[in-house]
Amino acid sequence: MINLMKIKRLLKPSFTMALTMILIASLSSCDPSLSIYEYDLPEANSKADETPPTANFSATQTAEDWKTYNFANLSSSATTFEWDFGDGNSTSSLDASNTYPGEGSFTVTLTASDALGVVSTFSSTIEIVEPEVPPALRPEILNGNFDDGQDNWKIDEFTGGTTSPYNSSSDGSSLNYDGTDSGSSKTPGAKWTSSTSAGPYVSNATRYAYQAITVTPNTDYIIEFSYAIKTDADDIEGGDRVIVEILDGWFDDGVDAVASSNSGPLVQIVGDTANGKGEFTTVSKAFTSNEFGKVAIWMYAITNDELFVDNVKVFPVE
Amino acid sequence: MKKIKILAILSIVLCVSSCGTDYLDPAPTAAISGETFYSNDAELEAAVINMYDGIQGINASEDSDSDLNHAIQVEYYLTEMRSDNTRTKSSEGESAQFENFTVRATNGIVADYYTSFYNVIFRANIVLENLDAASEANAAKFEAEAKFVRAYAYFNLVRLFGDIPLIDRVVAPLETEIQFTRVAKSAVYDLIISDLSFAAGKLDNTYKTRASKAAAQALLAKVHLTLGNYTDAQGLLEEVMGSGFTLQPNFKDVFYNEENSEIIFAIGFLPDNANDSQNFSAEWLNSVGRSSGVNYVTPEARAALDALGGDRTMFSYRQDQAQPTEYQVVKYLPDGDASLGIAPTSGNATSAGNDWIVLRYADVLLMHVEAIMAGASFTTNSQAIASFQKVRNRAGLTDPVSSISKQELINERRVELAFENQRIFDLIRFGVAQEVLSAFSEANNYSFSATDLLLPIPQREVNLSKGLLSQNPGY
Repeated sequence: MINLMKIKRLLKPSFTMALTMILIASLSSCDPSLSIYEYDLPEANSKADETPPTANFSATQTAEDWKTYNFANLSSSATTFEWDFGDGNSTSSLDASNTYPGEGSFTVTLTASDALGVVSTFSSTIEIVEPEVPPALRPEILNGNFDDGQDNWKIDEFTGGTTSPYNSSSDGSSLNYDGTDSGSSKTPGAKWTSSTSAGPYVSNATRYAYQAITVTPNTDYIIEFSYAIKTDADDIEGGDRVIVEILDGWFDDGVDAVASSNSGPLVQIVGDTANGKGEFTTVSKAFTSNEFGKVAIWMYAITNDELFVDNVKVFPVE
Repeated sequence: MKKIKILAILSIVLCVSSCGTDYLDPAPTAAISGETFYSNDAELEAAVINMYDGIQGINASEDSDSDLNHAIQVEYYLTEMRSDNTRTKSSEGESAQFENFTVRATNGIVADYYTSFYNVIFRANIVLENLDAASEANAAKFEAEAKFVRAYAYFNLVRLFGDIPLIDRVVAPLETEIQFTRVAKSAVYDLIISDLSFAAGKLDNTYKTRASKAAAQALLAKVHLTLGNYTDAQGLLEEVMGSGFTLQPNFKDVFYNEENSEIIFAIGFLPDNANDSQNFSAEWLNSVGRSSGVNYVTPEARAALDALGGDRTMFSYRQDQAQPTEYQVVKYLPDGDASLGIAPTSGNATSAGNDWIVLRYADVLLMHVEAIMAGASFTTNSQAIASFQKVRNRAGLTDPVSSISKQELINERRVELAFENQRIFDLIRFGVAQEVLSAFSEANNYSFSATDLLLPIPQREVNLSKGLLSQNPGY
């Protein structure tokens, strides 16, 4: 045991010396290799960028707005992007979207670069043309000349009222539906009297004419009709008059149509010129259809005499 | 000495004449080899059936070897789950890469599909290579079927991967250049169009689960719509519309009355059959298949179906009874649904027999509208409206339509063809994919970018190509 300790003590200095020598040796052996790089520029012996970026994109017009384009970034090996949309706008997002001021030709440039600063650009020109808008539908007004009696003017049901729309009359306008002269002093028409009147005479016998029509949504239309009032005796507040409206929607029950009429139709025309029986006045007014293109014609009268309506038309504003 | 010389020359001459190729490479007589197998119509027809077998893929519930090709049985991952229609139930694993737009080049399902459909192309090329074995009467039909299948496979691949290797013949393992050289999409489409035109000219409408004239015409029409050749598409679609197909009066019967009057081309499966059944129907249920549930319906798809589906909605999605916050696809149920009057189609749900519908008449009618609209934002054409109205009437939406906007057509396709692997292709074809999927991704915290519209070339292929195959941007 003692002998061993002695040996260890003897060994220690020589062991340390050996370590020191190794350290020195390793230091001195490093020196020459370091000196190789001593005066080199940093770029020397560095590898080239083997995956340089390639810029590429495609453009698509959006469905909602013809002036807005979406850009699909199809670049490879790139990390940062700069879009120049050609109208002064720019962004640095990956994919991009831009709304242009209007029609024209715009050169879009995508600059793609990688983290080593290698840059690639790609340009493409887009031609923006306003797309054709659909021609507005011309609704067919069924029995608009009242030749077929009450056909097509009855609402499906009328809770607490009547679905009878008006009195069929032979005292309509002398003009045909297309505006030509009928050659006769009168054609069939629709008629209201005090027993079918609204206003102060409103009852469960009050008659309302209803017809659902389909038009192009959000489009300008004109409603037109002719009317004649026999006399206006000045005994009704507001005078004898016919009210023609376009309702905002289709209705199954007259009660709902009246409610919609009261809360505000898309357009209302009041005809109150009393020129006498057979003396028709043509009136018209523009309206804009609702977003569904489903609207309805709604007609009624306030009168205690004889009131006639004929040739109801709805057509788009050209 | 002179005699010996002559003898030597003679013996050499003899030797040369006896050494034909057959001598050193004789055809085996005790076993079948691919090179000599095809010698008559029956054998070549086996090769034709073999192509459809390739499209069927292997039912992973019957054989779970992960190296097998699952083909059409995994297509919904790459298509429907990459759209805003469906997602996984648990948002886990590589199947969730599709829904959140983080597909990697190493995704095994992408590689599975890619390999599967190149294998289908190989099977079609085998038929084409051995046509001389067929009788004159049958050769043209076999050629037409093979060309239809090859075009169908390429149309799927080119839409999913973009530029791809174009293999139009049987290639040997060492022909690596053709295997790994991506050619421009236009060259792939040229082959697709020429193959489908040939098929449409030579086939009749005998089959619904094999190629037919109408299937070739309808598929070619879709190719033309994809390329923007609208008048070509319209002509083909009108021919299909005059071929006697009709809509099923009841939407449910489209899926639960196989090979019905509406089906133009379907991949046939047989219930409770180890070789010819499918398991995608089970995968779409809650922990019935090998996954905990995939191809689950997104809230976005439910909202669209609720608003626009009409009678179709109840036969399109349903609440998951085991997990009421989640919703499942109703088309292709394997185990039925008593509340909807749907009977089980197989004894074992993972061995389902529901056919996969590739082309049906409602798709043709809506493509007809698309062809007439011809890239415009609307149409008021009466023929287009008639086709559109037929599809809507069947769904109980009988309000007369007077004009059809592009958005209305996209919506109608979404609800009519929901979960039939059409949505992503529709969005791309109509040029709205980036817009729609960006918004969808943002609303759900997914990470969509425009490069996600093409899938990555499988990394395994890139590695095998030794630098020949380039990757799609963004991967």
